[in-house]
Amino acid sequence: MSDSTPLLALEGLAIRAPGRMLVEDIDVTVLPRQVTALVGPSGAGKSLTARAVMCVLDVAPGLERGTLRYPALDPTRDWYEGVRGQGVRAQQRLLAQTRHLRGAWFTYSPQAASSALNPGRTIGRQLEIAVGRRDQPPANMGAEIREILGQVGLDPRVSSALPGELSGGMSQRAALAIAVAPKPRLVIADEPETGLDPVLRRAVVELLVTVCKDYGAGLLLISHHRDTVARIADHIVQLPGQEVEEAPR
Amino acid sequence: MSSPDSPKGAVVAVRGLVKTFVQAGPWPWSPERAVRAVQGVDFEVAPGEVIALVGQSGSGKTTVSRIVLGLEEPTDGQILLDGERWDGRTESDRRTRRARYQYVPQDAMGALDPQQTALEHVVETLAVLGGRDRAQAKADGVAMLQRLGLGERLDALPREMSGGEQRRVTLARVLALDPSLVVADEPTSGLDPDRRASVLEALVGNLPEHAGCILVTHDMTEAREWCDRVLVMLAGRVIEEIDLAESEPAHPYARILFDPWSGAVPREPLATQGCPYQPNCPLDTARAPDSPCGRAVPALTAMDGPEHRVACYAHGSSSQS
Repeated sequence: MSDSTPLLALEGLAIRAPGRMLVEDIDVTVLPRQVTALVGPSGAGKSLTARAVMCVLDVAPGLERGTLRYPALDPTRDWYEGVRGQGVRAQQRLLAQTRHLRGAWFTYSPQAASSALNPGRTIGRQLEIAVGRRDQPPANMGAEIREILGQVGLDPRVSSALPGELSGGMSQRAALAIAVAPKPRLVIADEPETGLDPVLRRAVVELLVTVCKDYGAGLLLISHHRDTVARIADHIVQLPGQEVEEAPR
Repeated sequence: MSSPDSPKGAVVAVRGLVKTFVQAGPWPWSPERAVRAVQGVDFEVAPGEVIALVGQSGSGKTTVSRIVLGLEEPTDGQILLDGERWDGRTESDRRTRRARYQYVPQDAMGALDPQQTALEHVVETLAVLGGRDRAQAKADGVAMLQRLGLGERLDALPREMSGGEQRRVTLARVLALDPSLVVADEPTSGLDPDRRASVLEALVGNLPEHAGCILVTHDMTEAREWCDRVLVMLAGRVIEEIDLAESEPAHPYARILFDPWSGAVPREPLATQGCPYQPNCPLDTARAPDSPCGRAVPALTAMDGPEHRVACYAHGSSSQS
């Protein structure tokens, strides 16, 4: 397989909720060492599309059309085969079939970094678990963890810290370290800049892109910030969508 | 307790504000540490003026806004509201004027009572804090909620409202009091750009004409679009004061803050002596052999007009005395 084989090829995605289509005719491709940005107004289905990419679907009747391939992993397999139009049960089966991929072949970085970190475990231990998901665990775990921390600009001493002891910017870096530690091929980041000030926002996004490229991974980035997207994205997927009032929290 | 040096007519006058927090160490036996959150801040807000306090997390902007309202006591300096001292008073002493100086919190859901409807929130505030009788409070509450586009949502409970609606309820109960000062601490955090604009429109568009407003934010678009004047804070000090309709930021830190992609992001820790930004500063002045930047803190100095002041030696500042 060549180095430019797409990591993700999602075509013609259509997901239905009772009475309306949530997303329709969406194509997303992510190439190695490149950034694909998913943009669009609130309610356009950005997060839902990201979930569909990860095979995490829990809508009824749900997936109606579309094909999902991870060509770099398996050039022929369409993961939505047997799921399209088959309802919630089939979606749950898909969830189980792809369990080994999540947190390993691809990883997910949610909006709030603090929610991605386990408050009761040290950063070092959480990194150890993430590194343990690699196909080939490193010979020296301690050295590996120090190296990952260094890559995201954190001091090796952070390894023994609990998430509660870190500042907002440090938590973001720690969450990022955990997202890349399994050496995933594909990283899916859902608005990693939420709640950060402009300087930190740029620093976090730049770091995310740099680390993904260093690891040879592709990045699917959901973002509200036009300046960020314009600066770093290789491809932009604009979701249509109407203004809808956001759901109650 | 009126003060002779209070400017005529200013809603807020902050004079030489200093705040030092004592922070406990990580372990019970670790020594305590003094954190100098605010290190000498002066500014005024005129009636009808909306100012923004901007800066990164930890710059001291929230601390300043809380001290202005008397939610924290300053270590040094004075706060004058409508020309009278506001700091150092007891809460019972402040009580009679409390309704005039209002706070909009960041976490709207946390600030609302889960068992009260939108209207009950406003009526209670008007009756208890505003001293209006129930019938009047109800009429005023309905009117304000209608103005903020919540006329159909009077009986909604907080959990039934969207994030934007919850925020507009916190705004309605503040604005219905006819305040002379509103301090809003990141009232739009967590909302997406479109809804941010509608919340700010509700706030700024419905401020009483005589009221001043302090908006604490780290969204530079908001500061630019909604505020008459912006104070940029760094390490507990104001490093630039600017009317963005007239001029563009000049301080190298303010420029990065307003356009984070315009240059290198600051990576070095802030200096504890001299200009705090000096380790990251791209300007030649900071590197010059006889540079004052590492020695003393630069004072805010007028640039291209009295409205635009900057604390930077490269822009003509002298040392702070």
